[in-house]
Amino acid sequence: MGEELLRVENVTKRFPGVLALDRVHFELRRGEVHALVGENGAGKSTLMKILSGVYRPDEGTLYYKGKPVVFHNAQEAQRAGISIIYQELNLMPHLTVAQNIFIGREPLRFGGYIDDRQMNRQARELLARLHVDIDPTTPVYVLPLSKRQMVEIAKALSFRSEVLIMDEPTSALTESEIDELFKVIHQLKQQGVGIIYISHRLEELKHIADRVTVLRDGKYIGTYNYSDITLEELVSKMVGRTLEHKFPPRTSSPTGRKIFEVKHLTRVGVLHDISFELYEGEILGIAGLMGAGRTELARAIFGADPKDGGEIYLRGRRLEIHSPIDAIRAGIGYLPEDRKLAGLAVEMLLCENITMANVEEISSRMGVIFPLRERKVAEHYVRELDIRTPSVYQVVKNLSGGNQQKVVVAKWLFRKAKVLIFDEPTRGIDVGAKYAIHKLMDQLAGQGIGIIMISSELPELLGMTDRILVLHEGRLAGVLRTRETTQEEILNYAAGLVSALS
Amino acid sequence: MVVQRFVAISALIVLFVVFSVTTPKFFTVQNVLTVGLQTSTMAFMGIGVTYVIITGGIDLSIGSVIALSGVVAGLLSRAGIAVWVSFLCGLLVAMGCGMANGLLVTRLSLPPFIATLGMMQIARGVALQVTGARAVAGLPEKFGVLGNGALFRVTVLSGDGRQVVTFPGIPYPVIIMVVVACVFNFLLRRHRIGRFIYAVGSNEEAARLSGIDVSRTKIVAYLVSGALAGLTGIVMMSRIVTAQPNAGVGYELDAIASAVIGGTSLMGGSGTIAGTMIGAFIIGMLRNGLNMQGVSYFIQQIIIGLVIIAAVAADRLQRRSEK
Repeated sequence: MGEELLRVENVTKRFPGVLALDRVHFELRRGEVHALVGENGAGKSTLMKILSGVYRPDEGTLYYKGKPVVFHNAQEAQRAGISIIYQELNLMPHLTVAQNIFIGREPLRFGGYIDDRQMNRQARELLARLHVDIDPTTPVYVLPLSKRQMVEIAKALSFRSEVLIMDEPTSALTESEIDELFKVIHQLKQQGVGIIYISHRLEELKHIADRVTVLRDGKYIGTYNYSDITLEELVSKMVGRTLEHKFPPRTSSPTGRKIFEVKHLTRVGVLHDISFELYEGEILGIAGLMGAGRTELARAIFGADPKDGGEIYLRGRRLEIHSPIDAIRAGIGYLPEDRKLAGLAVEMLLCENITMANVEEISSRMGVIFPLRERKVAEHYVRELDIRTPSVYQVVKNLSGGNQQKVVVAKWLFRKAKVLIFDEPTRGIDVGAKYAIHKLMDQLAGQGIGIIMISSELPELLGMTDRILVLHEGRLAGVLRTRETTQEEILNYAAGLVSALS
Repeated sequence: MVVQRFVAISALIVLFVVFSVTTPKFFTVQNVLTVGLQTSTMAFMGIGVTYVIITGGIDLSIGSVIALSGVVAGLLSRAGIAVWVSFLCGLLVAMGCGMANGLLVTRLSLPPFIATLGMMQIARGVALQVTGARAVAGLPEKFGVLGNGALFRVTVLSGDGRQVVTFPGIPYPVIIMVVVACVFNFLLRRHRIGRFIYAVGSNEEAARLSGIDVSRTKIVAYLVSGALAGLTGIVMMSRIVTAQPNAGVGYELDAIASAVIGGTSLMGGSGTIAGTMIGAFIIGMLRNGLNMQGVSYFIQQIIIGLVIIAAVAADRLQRRSEK
């Protein structure tokens, strides 16, 4: 492994009322991928922002290439060769790839005109270094997320970055896109770039990580060679206790009673003739690559998107679903993949979010809301679902991801939903809270609710479901019994290599 | 928002104290009632537009709808129709405008700015067309009661046989303002529709996926704004016992200003009636106090502009320091 690039010692950072980092160490060498892991709130983002010049430490020193340095802002760090790629990419969608890469630093011709040809040529060279095939003159908005990420990486390289910080780079990528990203990361390693890699998906670290540093509650837990530590040890260091099982044992099992059925559901160009059934107490997984139509299927069932054909039955009764209002009345609840964008009004109070789908229940016939009844309802669910909050009048924005997800669950429970569709229920949620959400799903199934769970994480599907529907390009490629299937088999169906139904 | 409210209340109190000390006739029963009277129309408009802004929209048609409703009431009244019926018709026309705004925004998915910009032109155009751009005068005496009458007016007969006013009474518009503020505050805070309005403004998609009828909610908001613009128009025209098709030009901006000073965010999702009332009183009191000090209208404009900027800047600075 190469020489030391970046090092912090005893770095401490305080925010009003919070000790975000408490004497943390970190060191990055040339040509290594150093993973940074920890639960939400462990201090990863704070450390990352200190390394990239966004924050200055209250105590402790930053060494870059052996010398103590102080960065006053992110630009200074970037000029020195430290670049950061945030989870939510910072590209301007209407500018071209090359324009994004060189924004603010465009090569100029005499007289101050932008030299487009030169700019595109340089961009092409950078992209070629990454072995990715993107035309620098395409506007960014037409690119899929994975390609946009490559553009960000190319932009970082254009600063001759020697340190690249990546924050959850794979959270929105498909398996094949992740492979592509990892290839690029290997390229960069060989070119001597040091990479700090932050991810919730511990499984994927084995493909790339050389070393891993664990933070917990702002404290430094340790740095390990990745080959010397098992995944279980890593998780227990992150959560500060041993997680016996990654998934809670299923206490519930499907009854024989069919609760929900979809027949020949079609949305032209998106979903083709999809039929399946769901039983009381069952957790039915939906797997598929990105673009396979998983979320689209959920939204079509729920009436959030239009459909061109097909029938939906709940307890044998045919439903006419033209809008979410119809679906909700019938007893279907949908927990969208992006909680903050579609599941919650994060600026509103916890209690208001819980009652949002059923305000009728806490108001008089004339529409007057009873605050006391609302508080009791909210307190009931806070207790039942173990939502960690100082009060039911807390603004949802201030809750952690796991607790926010529980608020969405509470909303549907209060609406007495009989079928719940969870779309990526544990995305962006830390390990401990994932376990709690999974346990909750099992409990709900135990109460006879039919659960549909969409997930990109195959271990999660294998750990929690009874059956798995696999979609491929908008079609049902296969229905697998969870107990009898493997990750490989699911992937084969998802990739369209086999199809049980054609 | 909390900070901004605090700043707004403090500003209101400071203004009141400063004007009371520096202007001899400011803190008199007569003048306090005048401030209330002058503020009432601003409050009606402000409350209406607050509903719309919380949903994430905007209503630029308020000033024109004021003119249209007043003109309709005036024309009908002059044609011999009972005053209260003509008032009602004016109000209904204004509600029609609000309804149309709501339908344009929801059914045709027009941006609120565009839909209400169009309505601003249309309503003004209609008001000018039906009156031939002339003021509607010669209205029955009863037409002026709503705007000029007062409750609890106390007069005594003086020695020489003249009526002397000892207490001018609370003007009807002030009473209506209190009622309107209470009713719409209640609806916003304690009624389902208010909850839906906040939900739609905070996160429209989440509201839709929670089964809230987003379109209906928005239409209600525009309807409220239209209705209160109509009320403003009737009260204004009643005060001068003349219906002016040119009245109310630019008033929507005063309305938006009072909402914004009171802490309503143009991004939607937040805002209160109490805040808007404070905002309306700040503008009303500034106008009144500066008038009494003999400050020119132009300087008043400058000062009100500065107040708008300062109120929102205080909030922004506070948020930045929280980060």
